[in-house]
Amino acid sequence: MAGGQGGTPEPITRLIEAFHRLPGVGPKSAQRLAYHILRVPEQEAAALATAIVDVKQRIKLCSRCLNITESDPCAICTDARRDQSVICVVEQPLDILAIERTGFRGLYHVLHGVLNPMEGIGPEDLRLRELVVRLKEEVTEVIMATNPSLEGEATAMYVQRLAGPLGVRVTRLARGLPSGADLEYTDDVTLSRAFEGRQEI
Amino acid sequence: MAERPRVYKTEGVILKRRNIGEADTIFTVLSEREGKFDAVARGVRKARSRMRGHLEPLTRSRLMLAQGRSLDVFTQAETVDPYRNVREDLERTAVALSCVELVDRFTIEHAEAGAIYHLLVALLEALDEGLQATVSRHFELDLLAAAGYELQLGACTLCGGRLPAEETLLAPAAGGLVCANCRPVAGEGRLVSVAVIKVLRHARSVEIREFGALRMPPEVEAELRAALGAVVRYHLDRELNVPRYLRDVEALPG
Ligand SMILES: [Zn+2]
Ligand SMILES: [Zn+2]
Repeated sequence: MAGGQGGTPEPITRLIEAFHRLPGVGPKSAQRLAYHILRVPEQEAAALATAIVDVKQRIKLCSRCLNITESDPCAICTDARRDQSVICVVEQPLDILAIERTGFRGLYHVLHGVLNPMEGIGPEDLRLRELVVRLKEEVTEVIMATNPSLEGEATAMYVQRLAGPLGVRVTRLARGLPSGADLEYTDDVTLSRAFEGRQEI
Repeated sequence: MAERPRVYKTEGVILKRRNIGEADTIFTVLSEREGKFDAVARGVRKARSRMRGHLEPLTRSRLMLAQGRSLDVFTQAETVDPYRNVREDLERTAVALSCVELVDRFTIEHAEAGAIYHLLVALLEALDEGLQATVSRHFELDLLAAAGYELQLGACTLCGGRLPAEETLLAPAAGGLVCANCRPVAGEGRLVSVAVIKVLRHARSVEIREFGALRMPPEVEAELRAALGAVVRYHLDRELNVPRYLRDVEALPG
């Protein structure tokens, strides 16, 4: 998109471009959002702009678990009621919200990605070094909660190899059928894992 | 030009994926008949997607696609082989991905790639059956040949002269081994040992499974890997990503 093209004022073009860079926003949606902003009251637009700047200025990564936080260490890491011997390893900060809803009360570690060798994302691009440091402390179990994708599985296996020599037990979330899944359309790997993880009812 | 059917079926190996939007993913597939192509799977990242597990990289699947405006769209996918032993082993996954990256780099979209498809399937099967990771050397030699860069290993590539059993120059620009006399005009290359030359010739004369049964000393294996790596890099314009990851994995304890 070239600036100021077709008589569009430059500030609008700039805003469209900014929206377009957001994940999941195509050129049409970017245009729609920009023109929406143009119509809203000025204080609403200012509130949005401030919220964006605040997030960047006030939110940082917890130096222990690398979750996003306003205070460092974060509220989870400093909560004495939580089990300090178990670390649940996740790909993204958002994953923590989902796991918190399950009632898990241990600690977390956010990798900020998964191994993706084809895209050149290797171990040095993930927050693995920080994890290894923590594993040398009072941790007895690491629960790998990476996605059951090729990349998530490789990441889990990689962590297992790092943690093994440190005497830390590495477990993996059970992989099986999501509720609402249809057996007929389930792939063989998921189905055989579901079989392996079967339970008495 | 003949019109392509609106809906078509094909069988292919999923090479890689790229997420777009909220729930869609673009997959790159290498298929027997259509060559390498990109297609989009709508809603595939939702938990209840019927296609999700059938479109994982390193999976061989039967696919049904519909012609789309810019990209074709997956309408059905069913696993033929998930190569589970490969996916559940860190080293094997890395080796398989290093071969997939080569396939991706040595093929162009929609060009005929039936031979390369069969090489990739044979490689994944060999790794899945538990054969040594060195099967990837056999794959590299076959891939070079299929891509039009077959290494000449019998006589001198330039003069056709006999090659004595001694350290010999392997020159990618010349296209293979080069005798001592021709060395000055052979371009860049590296000297390879008699043992490596023997292994290279053996690889060209046997099937991947038979090659996978061959035990070689670690130093020969390392030299073979470096020599073929240099040839592959010579034919590609950009550095490869996976070899570095493979070295990281190999350096892990246990
Ligand atoms: Zn924290
Ligand atoms: Zn010669």
